[in-house]
Amino acid sequence: MKIKKDEVGWLLLFIAPTLILFTLFFILPILFLLASSFTNWDGIDAEFVGFENYIKLFNKKSFVRAITNNLYWCITAALITVPLGLIIALLLSHRSRGWKVFRTVLFVPQVVSSAAIAMLWAAVFNAEYGLLNFILDNIGLSDYKNHNWLGNVRTANAALIGFSLCYVGYFMVIMLAKTASISEDYYDAAKIDGASQIQKDFYITAPLIKSTFFLCIILAVIFNLRQFEYVYLMTAGGPANKTQVLVVYIWNELTVQRLGRGSAAGVIMIALGAMLLLLLRRLLKSETYN
Amino acid sequence: MTNDNSLNFYSIFKWVIIISFVVYAVFPFLWLVLASLKTNAELLDNPFKLPKVFQFQNYSNAIQEAGLIQLIINSLVISTCATFLNILFASMCAFAIARHIFWWKNVLFLMITAGILVPLNALIIPYYAIINFLNLYDTRLGLILVYCAVGLPVSTFILTEFFKGIPKEIEEASYLDGCNFVARYFRIMLPLALPGLATAGTFQFILCWNEFIYAMLLTSSTEIRTIQFGISYFTNEFFSDYVGMFAAVVVSILPSITVFILFQERVITGLTAGSVKG
Repeated sequence: MKIKKDEVGWLLLFIAPTLILFTLFFILPILFLLASSFTNWDGIDAEFVGFENYIKLFNKKSFVRAITNNLYWCITAALITVPLGLIIALLLSHRSRGWKVFRTVLFVPQVVSSAAIAMLWAAVFNAEYGLLNFILDNIGLSDYKNHNWLGNVRTANAALIGFSLCYVGYFMVIMLAKTASISEDYYDAAKIDGASQIQKDFYITAPLIKSTFFLCIILAVIFNLRQFEYVYLMTAGGPANKTQVLVVYIWNELTVQRLGRGSAAGVIMIALGAMLLLLLRRLLKSETYN
Repeated sequence: MTNDNSLNFYSIFKWVIIISFVVYAVFPFLWLVLASLKTNAELLDNPFKLPKVFQFQNYSNAIQEAGLIQLIINSLVISTCATFLNILFASMCAFAIARHIFWWKNVLFLMITAGILVPLNALIIPYYAIINFLNLYDTRLGLILVYCAVGLPVSTFILTEFFKGIPKEIEEASYLDGCNFVARYFRIMLPLALPGLATAGTFQFILCWNEFIYAMLLTSSTEIRTIQFGISYFTNEFFSDYVGMFAAVVVSILPSITVFILFQERVITGLTAGSVKG
């Protein structure tokens, strides 16, 4: 609808709150982050120090470890969690009895807060009363009796990755919703040709929801780049920085008031996110024909 | 569509996969609820054994000792206000973008929705500084503003797409009848867009209720603290009272699961709306 002259004021007024908050909490913080990353700001004084923060960060083993761990989370999500979500989405797309119940139940971890999920799984992995050790003990793997999964250098990362599989439901729901838009004609034609269910799933449904599959990979990468609660509450980055991730690293810099250094880590994180997004877009675009 | 020959290998595989992931997703929750009704001594015993007496006082203890009621009230107040403001602002902006022609509207829409892709947790240091600068550290208003703002890109996106899908005829008729800008928004658009508002609102409420890092970053006193940050204190304060911690975790997850069960169709359509664009 064209705007009448006397309504321009109203239009601006309607956009203003969103625009002001967006400027205040998206644009300004990013500029602020960039500016303070070149200083030695400690909450009181700030002096320009050039690229010192960046150089120091990349020479820190724990910081490089945080980046590789974040990438490790992203890759696991893209190569394991999302494909598993696809398989479950294909299976539930048959819409056999009770599929809605399974969809709802599998989605539940997504609506529960990360803090509660982290505490829940920390309890599952607990050495004394944890559910996992009890089950392992009872199926005969008594080596793991009283094994501290999250406190052990060898098992901490594996435990974190293992628990993150409980989030398959989120990606499954997105892909499953997409299957509803597929025309029934394809399946009717396949039926006449004598296609089995597995052929229908992998030769009709899967290719037709490819774009949504790629979207899920992008979402998975963003979520795993910015994740904080699991590592912070389950291992706090330990043992020996083994499970450190970027946001926990920034948080630790913040608590010791090394705000300049923390800002530089934030800039690196945003740059890494942008690079991953561009890379994924390029990789995935060449795969889609439509 | 299925039942061709229901006992083939593929359908066995199917049920094994589905059931095992359901177990993976739900079983820890059931264990948690059961454990929250035991004594600390029973907890160290067989996790599948039912407690001798259901220890409902774990809940009342957790509620009293940790001040859970206060935490829940704080979370409810903050989440409700942030959701209301977020939906109000986002729907106003979405109305302006979806229903009017002005030369910079595409730039505006692209800019705001690009906010969805920003890894916001990288910005904790600037947020801390900005909230301190505004003198809103350790206030409910500070958290409300932050929660309202961080959800704006998603809400604006969902609502703009929804508004675009509503037929223009009613609005154009009212426009010719002399209905002004504000009246068109309140009396025509909002009532027609109720399902869209519910979708965006559900997302926003769950986001606010579950938020942890900003609650930890921007508040310090117990009177302001939200439930998510509050329950994390259990890991420090009561080293041995595991069952109390479990009870508190159960209490903290009930509201978001309830909201989800009530509005699940809306949540799922919201996810689809978000995935249309890609």
